[in-house]
Amino acid sequence: MMTTRTRKLKPSAMLLLFVLPALAFYCAFTLAPAIGGIWYSLTDWNGLNPAYRMVGFSNYVEAMGDRFFLKSLWFTFKFVAFMLVLQNAIAILLALFIEAMGRSRVWFRTIFFMPNMLSLIIGGFMWMFIFTRVFPYLADQTGWLLLDESWIGDPKYSFFSILALSLWGGVGYLMVIYIAALQGVPKTLKEAASIDGAGAFTLFRHVTLPMIYPALTIGVFLTLNSSFKVFDAVYSLTGGGPGRSTQVIAINIFEEAFSFSNRYGYASAKAMILFGIVMIITIIQLAVMKRREVRA
Amino acid sequence: MSGSAQSYHAHAHTSNSTTNSTSNNDNSSGKTMRRLGSASMFLFLILAAVVTLFPIYMALLNSVKTQGEMLTNILALPTTLEFGNYADAFRKTDYMRSLWNTVVVAAVGLAGIILFASMAGYKLSRTPGKLSSFLFGLFVMSTLIPFHSIMITLVRISSDMGLQGSAVGLGLLYIGLGVAVAIFLYHGFVKSVPKELDEAAVIDGCGEFKLYFVVILPLLLPITATIAILNMLWMWNDFLLPLLILTDFKSYTLLLSTNMLFGEYNNDWSAILASLVLAMLPVIVLYLLLQKYILHGISEGAIKS
Repeated sequence: MMTTRTRKLKPSAMLLLFVLPALAFYCAFTLAPAIGGIWYSLTDWNGLNPAYRMVGFSNYVEAMGDRFFLKSLWFTFKFVAFMLVLQNAIAILLALFIEAMGRSRVWFRTIFFMPNMLSLIIGGFMWMFIFTRVFPYLADQTGWLLLDESWIGDPKYSFFSILALSLWGGVGYLMVIYIAALQGVPKTLKEAASIDGAGAFTLFRHVTLPMIYPALTIGVFLTLNSSFKVFDAVYSLTGGGPGRSTQVIAINIFEEAFSFSNRYGYASAKAMILFGIVMIITIIQLAVMKRREVRA
Repeated sequence: MSGSAQSYHAHAHTSNSTTNSTSNNDNSSGKTMRRLGSASMFLFLILAAVVTLFPIYMALLNSVKTQGEMLTNILALPTTLEFGNYADAFRKTDYMRSLWNTVVVAAVGLAGIILFASMAGYKLSRTPGKLSSFLFGLFVMSTLIPFHSIMITLVRISSDMGLQGSAVGLGLLYIGLGVAVAIFLYHGFVKSVPKELDEAAVIDGCGEFKLYFVVILPLLLPITATIAILNMLWMWNDFLLPLLILTDFKSYTLLLSTNMLFGEYNNDWSAILASLVLAMLPVIVLYLLLQKYILHGISEGAIKS
């Protein structure tokens, strides 16, 4: 009797013992702040004053009428759309071309992945030098007026500067994933298709693309996940400015909480809205891609 | 080589089929087309490589020029090497201390994530039952939460716990933020480790912890390498959390002191570029040395999670 009981107790006690350290850190620095975030989003807590009141959903209501927050939402959506198409398209293109190369492929892979190793803060400052010093110089030399635009100061152009920086830093990561996927496509399949007279494009569209569909799911997922949360690229290039014209959601939340107003409660509500958006889009995306994967 | 092999196939095909009269034609032009395509692909890749390396090259090139020389010709090679820029950047960013702080953050975080997550992932994977799957679900649940949704309260919690302003404290925060994904990866990997090993060790009178440290942990090395690379890159390059947590210059990481230099000496590009090169240096060196493992770890980690 005793022995069976100790045997029954032991596995779950052991389990807890092994899980406890990870669980403690996880609860303190992920779970508790997440729950705290939901809680504070319902209060008027301002960070300085220890006392706060419950205000229900009024923070959420205010956020939906906050001109700057809505603008940052729109700016972020635009950024995500561009990133989604361009980052995946360029990464697939690079992967396809590199796989067609001989000995030089190792070199190309090394070079294209290199920016991914660097923080976009470092990358952003380097590109800042290109945009504000090298481009004007080149414009002087060549007379190309496009290079003489205000690539950092004019929000019309700095959107594309931010995009260029993000692509520079992000494409290599997806390229590595697509290369791994391409290497999994059986050679015999491609050969069979080209014997049947399939051109390069048809080959890609009807043979290669369906075969790398799982990788595309990952690529789209990773792009969505990272670009909704974009912060470093904007912080280092424009800081959200001039004014608030290039603010993305993350910058808007950051400034609401830590720079302008210290309105922690209100900023938490905005953060929860960001969470909701990321959740909904991820679920939709996974559902759609899974269905297409099965069909393909 | 491969071109001729392909034409051989195509040829064999046409001789076998009597209906395809055009494919012979296609084949001869297809060969030149393919060569042309290959050359233009190569050209495209070269062009893309130049664009990719251009900012790094410009930073390197101009970091050894004087401010005056930079203004007269930004693209030219420097006439004299001005290493004073580096001395300047070294001093202004307090380079050695910033580097040390970054290493401390990453070391504390990495040690905690690997040890705690492998323990938890292993036991969760081995133990059946409701409690086990509940705990596993609890960890996995959080992987979708964006960092920005927890950062405000996290800053508050870390200041309450006295972790603000300390590199070790930041490392501890990273453990809490990083274990979930690592547990997920370990959990999957442990399934491939035969259970018979555990049983044999237990029969030999091996205690649970000894079994884990002596038998299991060494077997997890492949996934540990992947997890170490992914987390190392993340902690080394993360900017927002250090910005919020490390409040005084003494505890600044490389990124923070570079950012500070950029803010304070906005137009002194010589010093800024030198500091950027210095900040890049450890990562680039590590990348060129461990490239194979890093690229493998990246694709592995992405596919599994």
